Amino acid sequence: MSCLIVQSDKTLLLEVDHEQADACRRAIAPFAELERAPEHIHTYRLTPLGLWNARAAGHDAEQVVDALVEYSRYPVPHALLVDVAETMDRYGRLRLSKHPAHGLVLTTTDRPVLEEILRSKKIQPLVGARIDPDTVQVHPSERGQIKQVLLKLGWPAEDFAGYVDGEAHPIDLREDGWALRPYQKQAVDGFWHGGSGVVVLPCGAGKTLVGAGAMAEAKATTLILVTNTVSARQWKSELVKRTSLTEDEIGEYSGTRKEIRPVTIATYQVLTTKRKGVYPHLELFDSRDWGLIVYDEVHLLPAPVFKFTADLQARRRLGLTATLVREDGRESDVFSLIGPKRFDAPWKEIEAQGYIAPADCVEVRVNLTDSERLAYATAEPEEKYRYCATTATKRRVTEALVAKHKGQQTLVIGQYIDQLDELGEHLDAPVIKGETTNAQREKLFDAFRNGEISVLVVSKVANFSIDLPEATVAIQVSGTFGSRQEEAQRLGRVLRPKADGHEARFYSVVARDTIDQDFAAHRQRFLAEQGYAYRIVDADNLLEEDEAA
Amino acid sequence: MGRMTTGGQGSAPRTLAEDLRARDDEALVRLLRARPDLLSPVPNDLTQLATRASTRTSVVRALEHLDRFTQQVAEALAVTADPCPYATLLTLLTGGPGPAAHGEPLPPETVEAVTAALPRAVDVLRARALLWGGDDRLRLVRTARDVLAPAATVPSATGLGPSVSEATAGMSPSRLQEILADAGLPATHDPMSAVTALAGLFADGVRTAALVGSAPDDARAVLDRLVWGPPYGEVRDATVPVRAADAVTPVQWLLARGLLLPAGQHNVLLPREAALSLRGGRAHRTPEPTPPAVTPVPRTERTVDLTAAGQALTAVGTVGELLREWQTGGPAVLRAGGISVRDLKRTATALDLTEPQAAFWLELAYAAGLIATDGEVDEAYAPTPAADLWLQQPAQERWAALAAAWLTATRTPGVVGTRDAKGRALSALGPDLDRSLAPRVRRRTLRILAELPPGSAAAPDELLARLRWDRPLRPGADALRADLLRWTLQDAENLGLTGRGALAAHARPLLAWHSAAELSAATVAAAGLLGPLLPEPLDHVLLQADLTAVAPGPLMAPLAETLGVLADIESKGGATVYRFTPESVRRALDAGRTAAELQDFLTAHSRTPVPQPLSYLIDDVARRHGTLRVGAASAYLRCDDDALLTELLADRRAAGLGLRRLAPTVLAAQSEPGVLLDKLRSMGLAPAAESADGDVLITRADARRTPPRTPPAPVTDGPPVPAGPLLGAAVKAIRAGDRASTAVRRSPADSAAPTTGSTGAASGDGLPRTPAADTLATMQAAVLSGESLWIGYVNAEGSASQRVIAPVRVEGGYVTAYDHTVDEMRTFALHRVTGVSELAEDSA
Repeated sequence: MSCLIVQSDKTLLLEVDHEQADACRRAIAPFAELERAPEHIHTYRLTPLGLWNARAAGHDAEQVVDALVEYSRYPVPHALLVDVAETMDRYGRLRLSKHPAHGLVLTTTDRPVLEEILRSKKIQPLVGARIDPDTVQVHPSERGQIKQVLLKLGWPAEDFAGYVDGEAHPIDLREDGWALRPYQKQAVDGFWHGGSGVVVLPCGAGKTLVGAGAMAEAKATTLILVTNTVSARQWKSELVKRTSLTEDEIGEYSGTRKEIRPVTIATYQVLTTKRKGVYPHLELFDSRDWGLIVYDEVHLLPAPVFKFTADLQARRRLGLTATLVREDGRESDVFSLIGPKRFDAPWKEIEAQGYIAPADCVEVRVNLTDSERLAYATAEPEEKYRYCATTATKRRVTEALVAKHKGQQTLVIGQYIDQLDELGEHLDAPVIKGETTNAQREKLFDAFRNGEISVLVVSKVANFSIDLPEATVAIQVSGTFGSRQEEAQRLGRVLRPKADGHEARFYSVVARDTIDQDFAAHRQRFLAEQGYAYRIVDADNLLEEDEAA
Repeated sequence: MGRMTTGGQGSAPRTLAEDLRARDDEALVRLLRARPDLLSPVPNDLTQLATRASTRTSVVRALEHLDRFTQQVAEALAVTADPCPYATLLTLLTGGPGPAAHGEPLPPETVEAVTAALPRAVDVLRARALLWGGDDRLRLVRTARDVLAPAATVPSATGLGPSVSEATAGMSPSRLQEILADAGLPATHDPMSAVTALAGLFADGVRTAALVGSAPDDARAVLDRLVWGPPYGEVRDATVPVRAADAVTPVQWLLARGLLLPAGQHNVLLPREAALSLRGGRAHRTPEPTPPAVTPVPRTERTVDLTAAGQALTAVGTVGELLREWQTGGPAVLRAGGISVRDLKRTATALDLTEPQAAFWLELAYAAGLIATDGEVDEAYAPTPAADLWLQQPAQERWAALAAAWLTATRTPGVVGTRDAKGRALSALGPDLDRSLAPRVRRRTLRILAELPPGSAAAPDELLARLRWDRPLRPGADALRADLLRWTLQDAENLGLTGRGALAAHARPLLAWHSAAELSAATVAAAGLLGPLLPEPLDHVLLQADLTAVAPGPLMAPLAETLGVLADIESKGGATVYRFTPESVRRALDAGRTAAELQDFLTAHSRTPVPQPLSYLIDDVARRHGTLRVGAASAYLRCDDDALLTELLADRRAAGLGLRRLAPTVLAAQSEPGVLLDKLRSMGLAPAAESADGDVLITRADARRTPPRTPPAPVTDGPPVPAGPLLGAAVKAIRAGDRASTAVRRSPADSAAPTTGSTGAASGDGLPRTPAADTLATMQAAVLSGESLWIGYVNAEGSASQRVIAPVRVEGGYVTAYDHTVDEMRTFALHRVTGVSELAEDSA
């Protein structure tokens, strides 16, 4: 009996307790996307993008078929194998390359494919003259566009047109007393050899260092795109600490400051600001001869940035993310514009290596009072979630939880500002929200890090890229309608390794029999699929247990 | 049993009947098996059998069942003189010794192959009563000759035209003489001899060659075009008499010498004798003595069997799912029969299949007798009682039943969605889906695969070529066969009869059977082979914290059924992934389970501890389940939790229900309980229905079944081949009748003197006549000796028949006997028996 079951819907079920499971995982990981990783059986899925990622990484259809046939417990449906081979065969039939005389050209190894795509109305405006039967000229400015369109047509093109070196700038890693972890090193190598692409690492696994490593390889001026200003500052301090770069060499390009330096960190927000129908900050991309562009949190990349990125295909691009899943379904644009996946390691594996802390996820079910239930039933549909997420009963339970973990660094995370203010008041804890100034935020974060304050109430501004190393307890009181991505980010807050090896706690406080519970089910499914043990407890039991203890 | 001959024993048979009479019983059984249409009804004697075997319909049918080479042999016989010695026939196929004027002589290996294959082909024709007479005088049955011989209207497969005498019929004698003269022949006295002379000239290869040799090049080019057929050419005016001296055009040159003969106003033809000479005596350009080769494409045997077994399991699962899907009532029957396109689409979506695939499985289930119409006023499809039995069998037996149904079914799902000749769309399960060719193509294809080394696949093109050789068909039927072959290969793969295109070991037993009894034995054997290849059904699942259960293989039926209620299926294949949701748990509770039962069930069947969130989910749903209770008589709502009722009353979504508070814990509603339940559920509540005396009502949809149904009988293009004993009896009966009729002819004096001796007396109507006393005595004697008798019998309607019976009991003026003619026990009134005669072979 082997450990893999190939389903007819192209999912692969891997029995993790099986002795061959490790070997099998290594064999299938290059081409199958891990979809769910609960305790006993992991689910992988075969997708065209996954298969093309494997092709980009140098695997061929035969390896894929061999891996499936070798590890499969039951005979693999023939149709599925044929489909795999056909899908993989589509990659690389077309290639973009530099022609000494004609500039950028699209060549094919299979003429009918070229004929087919040239007949497409979407391709016609992107290409120029036919140079010979197998080659057609491509307008250099359409390098990204054509890759996007070809992928949509099902004939992804391999990009061999190379990169400009960019303006050289000395950057070195300063490994004094620390070193890149092995997987970070692999990620940097994978990226550098692939040219451009995406590195997938869980929150807390040190993606910033992968970025720094890539910069040290490129030794060129670098543009780093991040989600917000706090994140930008953290990148800056991290780079100053870990590399030969000095404060003066790093510029911040945000709503408040507009510095352009050899290494510039810009926020998505400022780039996508639109005034009078134009994006005034676009010249940033052209303001220097960038040798490397780093996209932080690729899965959040706003749609306009894709459009700019399409024009930057001659520059090396590194995408960093915790998940390739985009809730807007634009995974294929990430593939065609930034590049294929170059490295990926599942959370559990890195956790097992001790680089991120294990977490204990607990859903606390709160019984609403009768009057609250009545109010909930009569609330307008669009107000229902807000009402049940912010009930007083929930607040009391949250307070009790904070009290239970007194002395531990605790984060209370929520969606609604008035709820957070109220909580802050009751807990006597500072609140960080959208209107908190950056200076104030950083001050509070520092105080939290130093242990001067042990409870911090944060709004969704903290969802992204803040670094709170000593948070051991996170309590989530409300969220963005069960977003799985948000869950991943929030869980990331407590997954940084703790100095004392203490297990992190992640609480979600949920109102029973309400829409809050439905959203929670969605988020919790995500956690269980990521392999985190999770329990559901009644608030009453939890508090009693507490009193008994 | 002795070889029986009558009349011209020892000398050559003069008619087909005589030839048949000279054959032994075995040979007759073979004939009747090959041409079962001769048996309905059982012919009285061999003369009648021979007559029937010569009717056009029967002959055409028999010819269509021949392989390509045997057909070529028959075609060759049809274009030559009758009778034809064996050697002449061989020459017709391989070509004469002289060089052919047109076309290459056959390569020696083909000649060898033809020589080797010819005796078998002749035997086959003879066995099927298409050919009779010894090897020195082979005679094709007249009708077969007419069917195969080239006529002006029907082109022949040989590409030969009418003979000189046929083509010159109606030509003026003077014109004939002119042609004779121009062809360099002496004049004759009458048209008959003129035709003979001309035909003689053309039949002589050397002289014809000489004549053609003298022709101008372009005339020879015309002949080249016509020689291998079609032998007709179009000209401006064919009937104008042309003399050699006046001939200008090449056609005129040929017309003048009779090498072309007019065939109507604007057509000319090349007479058969001339064409044969020019061809070097060959009736066919390419004789095909051996079937085209099918190249085996090797696959690993183990992989083939495993792949097929995996697919077999999927097949059984798919049909099972279909039955469950239609459990609570399938789609309505269209007025014309079948299901609508929309219902097909719906079923396809429910089963996660494409529509053609869904049509295939539907037709398969129908052919296997698992679904049928229910016969109600609003007729709908539903599983049959047989489906319940089927569902309880082990997987391998379920599979074998499906495979056997597929092999014999004439229903052809491949044509669903296409239109018939009248432009009506053919619907799944509807009428006009029967193609009698289908089972033959299926069986034949698989048998060809079975002849290859185990584990070999074959290219579809080669299979088609082979099928075409095995049984050439008219173009329309041939196109259908090409489709059928494609569907056969596809279906066989889907059903798990083949794996990766090669026949699986477990499918082999299904190919060797001739009768229904043998088929059922074959299915048992096939199931026995498949069994060990199937994964063992499991009795456990793996439960996970993300509220899924994974069954890492097929589950035991009861476990699968319960899980199917308790959880939704998320992914199928070798394994099954189930997902628990509040709705699915509620469904299980609705089906009458309690939370504790469910917890126990999961604990018992999980290999790992039940995850806390799952048991929490069940308890949580159970906690809410049945909190609300709905009355049936006058709808009411009661609930111990009056806050909930208050909440409900205040809920705007419940406004349409007309809720009114009766007591702190009871609400009344204006709407029907059903509507009320649905609405409450849609509001996210979990009410339970309540009976008049306050118990919770369990609502579970009843499974629907049709009344007992038999699967549709395959529609074949001829009567079914009768079983061995019946054939034997039929031959006996014919033989007896024959003996009677020939006996009369031979010794008419006997009929006057009734005896109980070896030969029964027969009157002019062919019925035996004996006095009543003798009849009774002979019957009684036969009861004691157990002998069979031949009797004449006049039934109540006054029609006379001959029967062969074995009397069992004689009493009260009736004789109870086993009637060989119809193969069952019958009672005959003694006064209606015209006479008896002992069977010839018993006394001989």
